[in-house]
Amino acid sequence: MIYIKNITKTYNKETVLEIDYLEIKPGQTFGLVGNNGAGKTTLFSTILDLIKPTTGEVLNNKINVRKSEDWKSFTSAFLDESFLISYLMPEEYFYFVGELRNFSKNEVDEFLKQFEDLFNDEILGGKKYIRDLSKGNQKKVGIVAALIGNPKVVVLDEPFANLDPTTQIRLKKIIKNLSQKDDVTVLVSSHDLQDVTEVSDRIVLLEKGMIIKDIKKTQKTLKDLETYFNKG
Amino acid sequence: MLQLIKLEFKSFFRSSALGGKLATKIFMWIGYIYIIFMTIALAFIHGSGGAAFIKQEGDVENPFLLLNSNMLFYIFGFWIVLRYFSQSTPVINIRPLLLLRIKRDKIIRFSLNKTIFSFFNLVSILYLFIFSLTIYSNDKFDLNQLIIWNLSMYLILYITNFLNIYINKKDSIAISLGAILAIIYALDFFQIFSFNPISELIFYTFYDIKLFIFIPLAILVFTYFQVINFFKNNFFIDTGLRKKVMEAKQDNLEFLNRFGEMSTFLRNDFRLIKRSKRAKTTALMSMLFIFYGLIFLGTRDLMGDTMLFFGYLFSTGGFIFSFCALVPSWDSQHYSFMMCQNIKYVDYIKSKWYLGSFGVIAATLIAVPIYGYFGSYHVIAVLCCGLFNLGVNSYLTLWAGAFTKVKIDLNSFKNAMGNSKAFNSKTLLLTMPQMVLPLLVYWLVSKFFGHTIGCISVGVIGLLGILFKDVVLSIIIKTYKVEKYSTLSAYKETN
Repeated sequence: MIYIKNITKTYNKETVLEIDYLEIKPGQTFGLVGNNGAGKTTLFSTILDLIKPTTGEVLNNKINVRKSEDWKSFTSAFLDESFLISYLMPEEYFYFVGELRNFSKNEVDEFLKQFEDLFNDEILGGKKYIRDLSKGNQKKVGIVAALIGNPKVVVLDEPFANLDPTTQIRLKKIIKNLSQKDDVTVLVSSHDLQDVTEVSDRIVLLEKGMIIKDIKKTQKTLKDLETYFNKG
Repeated sequence: MLQLIKLEFKSFFRSSALGGKLATKIFMWIGYIYIIFMTIALAFIHGSGGAAFIKQEGDVENPFLLLNSNMLFYIFGFWIVLRYFSQSTPVINIRPLLLLRIKRDKIIRFSLNKTIFSFFNLVSILYLFIFSLTIYSNDKFDLNQLIIWNLSMYLILYITNFLNIYINKKDSIAISLGAILAIIYALDFFQIFSFNPISELIFYTFYDIKLFIFIPLAILVFTYFQVINFFKNNFFIDTGLRKKVMEAKQDNLEFLNRFGEMSTFLRNDFRLIKRSKRAKTTALMSMLFIFYGLIFLGTRDLMGDTMLFFGYLFSTGGFIFSFCALVPSWDSQHYSFMMCQNIKYVDYIKSKWYLGSFGVIAATLIAVPIYGYFGSYHVIAVLCCGLFNLGVNSYLTLWAGAFTKVKIDLNSFKNAMGNSKAFNSKTLLLTMPQMVLPLLVYWLVSKFFGHTIGCISVGVIGLLGILFKDVVLSIIIKTYKVEKYSTLSAYKETN
């Protein structure tokens, strides 16, 4: 689904991303781990054509993301608060995203029903704009919006941070369902090794912009990763 | 106290005004110096009885009386209304200090006293001072009385200063003050009722009777302590300082549906204007531009017809020059989101063009009856200026927007005009052809063929622009695509 070739990103002679080759298969849940500044967000931003790589190219379903805008119709993402429109109410925001993805109001309402427990009565029907929601609730809005309209590729940067334990568990279920039932390719990054190993079937470890480990998840994966991060 | 002053200095010297890019820095300081220079010049001209007062023709016999008779209007217009829009409350920066070991009273007094030295106040004092100096050297005024008058005016200035802090964030008060101002001005302009004699009587008394100074002094002391008390009582980490949570309201914007795909975006832009204070202020301010033509109408004999045409260009294009000049910055907070959505870049930009055209059409519709009052000569001019703004200036502004790259924090309290980063050399350069081209065409054509043909030729250029909308937009979008990445990274920067 996603094919990355010879990507590098250099800021003032400092290379922050250097990936020769990376291919993510359709339906795979791809977990990205690494310390602060390892290049996780940079990699995701490059895939979404938000950052222009110094060299190389990204193909999303065979579409070069820099040359055509067609990948946008089946790709969605939530990286940070800059993916929210602060002056809208959550419903208005969902309808807006729905409209862009050819979902009618009713379809959006229908779609949102499955997230009732996730929202916990704090998001829909309230009298608040997104800017006045708590950080955790904002995140819920952003992630749910990224799932509207049956995307084939979903990119989530640090989806578990800032969420309460109950929501984290629910979110993990949602992400697992995405790839198992709907064959969606999910890209997730996290600082939390346990969270990310739980949901992904493949884990890539980034350090200083380079791929250090690329492993298929097994029973041992979490242990391996913990040992790796412990040594330094 | 010293610590607080040190912090203040750091925030000043590390602010974007000083730390920004060189071009921005230069423009900022040119702006400041220009204002100071203009203040001195105006004060001098006014003081020496020059004809710079809008309504007056020829020399003024007694500039001091004239200033006094206009004082009421100035106090309302500049010290209260303009200040409300341009000066932000000082309370914003103190949140992190509240938890530290500093007495609360000290923080409050410090942040209030800080406003005494705001640029706005200093410029006002400078004006009054230069003005007084000029009239003193020209005429026979009593020095002591003049000093007392000056001090009284300074006291009134500071009453408005603290009053502004007190009424801050209460839009209803500011709007009613603005309405009063408009009524006073209108009554005076159409010669129905003039407040000037009353104003003259009040303010001349400060010169005449020295003891009068105790009235503003008492009011100032009262206001000052009132404000201190107000903050003492409303000054905890979660009250007063916390941003006001507006109750969300559903709105019905179905009339926008007729714009098809564009309506999706237009709805958001209308909500932005309704719900963000910053956007609302800018949009309202842009509507004030409608009256800009009146200035040139009043000074037509002095400035000529071409300048009147210039005034009309501004009257109808105010929304484009102020609000649309900040497109796409209004979306800066969620620009990366927009760039990932299932939308064509062209459609997004096109929706902004529609937004701008709403502004132009609305302004033109309001301006036509206002200026139509003075005859059909003005109706043609206003309509053609509207057309030109719609068909040419709207594109130029959008094109310039690709270079603006100013991040707007919709959720902060920075007031519309307080944001110094809105200066941008490229944007400034691009406003030049917006004005020069139509003026040149009008001036040349009307010189040979008269006013009507001059107007129409400008209007036709605008009409052509509207007809070739899609072609022009597809050219603009190329610039946007090239600038996309640097725009995104500029929007990511935090101040």
